[in-house]
Amino acid sequence: MRGSTGQISRLGTLKSLLQRFAFLSLIGVTFALMLIGKADTVLVERARSAITDAVTPILRVMSEPASMIAQTINNVRELASIREQNAELREANDRLLQWQSLAQRLEAENKSLRSLLALVPEPGAQFVTARVVGDVGGAFAQSVLITAGLSSGVKKGQVVMTGEGLVGRVTQAGNASSRVLLISDINSRIPVLVGEAGNRAILAGDNGARPKLLYLNQSAAAPGDKVVTSGDAEAFPPGIPIGQVAEVQDGDVAVELFVARDKLQYVRVADYGLAGFLLEPPAVQQP
Amino acid sequence: MMQPTLLQSLDLSARKALPAALTLMLMLFALTPTNVPGLSPVMPMFALMSIYFWAIYRPELMGYGAAFSFGLLEDLLTATPIGSSALVFLLTQWIVLRQQKFFNAKPFVVTWFAFIFVAAGAALIRWIAVGLIADSGFTPVGPMFASYLITVAVYPLVGWLLAKAQVKLMGQV
Repeated sequence: MRGSTGQISRLGTLKSLLQRFAFLSLIGVTFALMLIGKADTVLVERARSAITDAVTPILRVMSEPASMIAQTINNVRELASIREQNAELREANDRLLQWQSLAQRLEAENKSLRSLLALVPEPGAQFVTARVVGDVGGAFAQSVLITAGLSSGVKKGQVVMTGEGLVGRVTQAGNASSRVLLISDINSRIPVLVGEAGNRAILAGDNGARPKLLYLNQSAAAPGDKVVTSGDAEAFPPGIPIGQVAEVQDGDVAVELFVARDKLQYVRVADYGLAGFLLEPPAVQQP
Repeated sequence: MMQPTLLQSLDLSARKALPAALTLMLMLFALTPTNVPGLSPVMPMFALMSIYFWAIYRPELMGYGAAFSFGLLEDLLTATPIGSSALVFLLTQWIVLRQQKFFNAKPFVVTWFAFIFVAAGAALIRWIAVGLIADSGFTPVGPMFASYLITVAVYPLVGWLLAKAQVKLMGQV
């Protein structure tokens, strides 16, 4: 009897020793990984893409009920206001028809002016539509996972948007899934134009709901001013709507985004053929 | 004693894998778009709750290896600096295992109270780790604090669900 208890306690000691060893070595591995992650970003990115590719099909199924509930609520809400909406739409239609004729006239004028100047037209964009199946929130990073990747032509650095405006940029492209860094992420920096005067600024995310404008003279922004991409640094084409100035306070200019994150279901990934600062800079040629 | 049949042993291992499976599910649940306005930036730390819960109630089924793997998975999925979650999950498990005597047969309210401190430590360590590794530096404290408060507030619900699953599916394990 005594022998067996002795054996058990010896086994217990051995087990706790092994556990302590496992804990300490794993802590060591964690710190090693932190260093590797800092040094070899390509390797980490490849691992991220592989994991995202593996998980996206599961997320696709899991996101189905949530999007269905949201859609149902939306439908009911729309049903309640269908009469008013109809009247509003009629009015809007009348207004838009006027705009259409104006646009047609301007287009014709534009065309003739272009031919006068012999202007080379900018290449058009190619679009891929994808569903949003993952919403990575939390305090440390803001991104969404979408159901299109390299196999459908999505590449790192491409611009992601909806009908309302800019969503973000592809930062990681797997085979059948991609990660889109949102404008609100702390790593997001976008050159923008503010207001009708077109003052240049940088829109910087801070992981909150409202990104801030940097390098902007405070008097140059007022609540309601529209913010659009400027096209500087070749990361984004110019003129994509982003949001409007919501608040100017104590040197901080906060921007309310046009794209509501909680309503994101489908996005368009646009390939403008831009070089962008995400890619390797071209080698400087020696004279 | 009778030898367990293949089906029985398969059943047993499935039951033993339940803590890991539920942790994975919670982690993926946190990634599912909720369509709730304003929730995303302050998403609670669901995986942390699960790690903490199983470290208290079924430490033999969720070892350091599992905590480490889940941390790694979380970092890869959420695009946070690699290793930061793994470190936090490992430390969470370690502190709970060190205090096994304290947690032993305590009512749920006590473990919730302890979670207030464990989660605070976890959030703080993650914040420091991310801030030191990431090129963007330290993230604003606001969203982190909000996420922490929600994590603590939601824990009883998640803990209750996990406890239900444990009693229902793992009764004899």
